[in-house]
Amino acid sequence: MANRPQPIATGARNLLFVAPAFVLFGLFVLLPLVSSVYYAFTSWSGFGAAEWVGFANFRRAVADPVHLAAYLHVTLYILGTLVLEVSFGLVMAVVLNSDRLGFSLMRGMFFSPMVLSMTAAGVLWAFVLDYRLGLLNSVLRGLGLADWALPWLSQSSTALVAIMFVSGWRFAGFYMIIFFAALRRIPRTIFEAATLDGAGPVKQFLTITLPLLRQQILTCVLLAITGGFAGFDLFFTMTNGGPFNATEVPATWIIRQGFDNNQLGYATAMTVILAVVVLAVSVIYLRLTERGDDVRY
Amino acid sequence: MSAISRRPAEWLQLLVGGTVVAAMFYPAVWMVLSSFKSNREIFKHPFGLPDQWRWGNFAEAWDKGGLGGLYVNSILVTATAVTLTVCLATAAAFAFSRLEFPGRRWLYRLLLIGLLLPPPVVAIPLFAILRDMGLLNTLWALILAGSAWSLSLTIFILHGYFNAIRPDMEEAALLEGATIWQVFRDISVPMVWPSMLTLAIVNTISIWNELMFALLFVVDDDKRTLPVGLIRFFGRYSTDYAMVFAALTLTTVPILALYFLLQRHVIAGLSATAMD
Repeated sequence: MANRPQPIATGARNLLFVAPAFVLFGLFVLLPLVSSVYYAFTSWSGFGAAEWVGFANFRRAVADPVHLAAYLHVTLYILGTLVLEVSFGLVMAVVLNSDRLGFSLMRGMFFSPMVLSMTAAGVLWAFVLDYRLGLLNSVLRGLGLADWALPWLSQSSTALVAIMFVSGWRFAGFYMIIFFAALRRIPRTIFEAATLDGAGPVKQFLTITLPLLRQQILTCVLLAITGGFAGFDLFFTMTNGGPFNATEVPATWIIRQGFDNNQLGYATAMTVILAVVVLAVSVIYLRLTERGDDVRY
Repeated sequence: MSAISRRPAEWLQLLVGGTVVAAMFYPAVWMVLSSFKSNREIFKHPFGLPDQWRWGNFAEAWDKGGLGGLYVNSILVTATAVTLTVCLATAAAFAFSRLEFPGRRWLYRLLLIGLLLPPPVVAIPLFAILRDMGLLNTLWALILAGSAWSLSLTIFILHGYFNAIRPDMEEAALLEGATIWQVFRDISVPMVWPSMLTLAIVNTISIWNELMFALLFVVDDDKRTLPVGLIRFFGRYSTDYAMVFAALTLTTVPILALYFLLQRHVIAGLSATAMD
């Protein structure tokens, strides 16, 4: 990104340009953020005064088995998205990288789930995965694999994996487009030279494409991690944490504790934990990755 | 030589790409075809064309789901929030890029917090704040919260666009005696106008699809937006497959059509959010 040019004017009156944005940002982002730290130390039902309870909410959170399981689920989910969204998107960027007729349309179709709401995607896929008349089981039965037809979303062992695949369906196009844009900036002569040297497509992918896309890959992995921790819509729409909490993630558990069980203090403590975890993971990730040397072309 | 030797590889590329894309796009086709069928037919013949195109399904789903009201609410919320976001963000990005003022660095860093944190983190205190302001259960709750949470990214990207353009024109206008406000309105805004439109598209998609705030901050059925309305509909008619498919089609096909119409801008906008 370009550096900031010399300022054209100075003075406190210029604050007027940022003031409206900061009123909105302060009221609905910063203020709730600060007050959530306060509420986390209280027992509060949403009405009346909040009572100070010290670290009780946090002690409860680290001993709450569903809360801990939610972090396991979200970690598995993030690992799944790294394969089904980022890696799949990368492979498809290479596959769909062509100027031939039809490829632009295919890229557009591959990207199209991104514009749908997670709700629409979730409801649609709930039907695709439906046990009795879902598309997937119909295909399996049609192929003579009736034993493979499972109640994907309503049994604990497959529900989380099913959600990962739906998430992959929704987001792979996003990562594909990012990698595709970066691929287009790699001079074609590099690949032509490699072909002349006898390198096949797989070898070219491993020795040219991957190193040159390093920066984009690192960014996409970070996006997948931070986005994964925030995951709510798809889980809420498809399983709402069930069956038997098998797909409970931090966001769904927080909302259920806060709004269904009126334990707003406890739920807020868990949001503070979530915020700290997201920030810590991001900072550690950025520290670990910025050391490697930048590949330029 | 390349034209001859690359041929088989290109066929393979087309085959693999085409198969994957077709498989991923098929659920959408299946959804549209199923929305014309009866429940019995969906069960007996899940594939293939409907034996009779039941256009009546759509009218029924539209009425039963109150889709008209949901559309109006979604359009009101999205249009207002996006306009608000882009206008405030452009002014702020202009100031962060072109002007010097006390606390500039500090305020910019504060703003970046919004890039890293997910909205669930503030959902509960935000609920209390909106209630105390008397905004709960109004469309304003969704407009203001949605807009506030879109500001960080929008300012961040516009700031980058501003920094990429030399401020020569603006400096010249100031020397001619124009005020900063005039410079902003008559020179800077027209300069970044295309980027503002791109960001308007990006924010439209995210606010149109927003679920959590809409779920928590609005209670009355007649103030709901499409994503929540669709979940309610799904909950109520989950065994009436034809109805749910018809409602899904009515809520997704217009968006998909709009996307294919504006494809270039949508893709440019959404990928810009990750490039910088």
